Amino acid sequence: MDAFDLDVRRHVYFSVVANGRPPTTEETAAAFGRDEEEIEDAYLRLHDAHALVLFPDSRRVWMANPFCFAPTPHRVHAGGRTWTGTCAWDALGIPSALHGDGFVETECACCGEPLELEVVGGELTTGRNLIAHFVVPALRWWDDIGFT
Amino acid sequence: MVFLRSEDHLARWLQAHGWEPGATLEASQLNALARAWWWTRLDPGWRPRAPEESQAILDELGLTGEFWALR
Repeated sequence: MDAFDLDVRRHVYFSVVANGRPPTTEETAAAFGRDEEEIEDAYLRLHDAHALVLFPDSRRVWMANPFCFAPTPHRVHAGGRTWTGTCAWDALGIPSALHGDGFVETECACCGEPLELEVVGGELTTGRNLIAHFVVPALRWWDDIGFT
Repeated sequence: MVFLRSEDHLARWLQAHGWEPGATLEASQLNALARAWWWTRLDPGWRPRAPEESQAILDELGLTGEFWALR
């Protein structure tokens, strides 16, 4: 991953935090004073390096993990916004990435019943009785990250 | 990775999908993993972690064995 791609990635993440959504390739191109095609190529390289996840056959950001930009059952209130977590792990990852507290509204994967978790000072203070399950082993997490 | 109310709900969920059990963590364990894994994600100088660095995070939390092997 070269310096330009790292700069583009940093811009994407900082835009997510500032605006609550990832920048389009057009917006990033304008920010860098580059052609949009160059930014599209950078987005694709970042996707291939697992530094971002793009929607299939697009240059739109689906995940800047732990943040997700498609609906999931995991809503996370942290840093003055409501975010979407890609999965259970990412939902708790959002307060971590933002270095703050967080409140997670989610559901039981089995019955759909609402569940709540709260992180205060890095510790889980609500939802300690819940469990999380990983179906996919670590070696195969990136085979189908949407399923994982 | 999903949240579940209990081991009973996990067993029902796996059976409904016909999936083999993977790995189960208590929510507080998952929070510890999330805290270690994502803490640096917004650092201005972020660089991709080497696989052995990621593996070390899992190891430190006791997440060892074939299921947690990244390579």
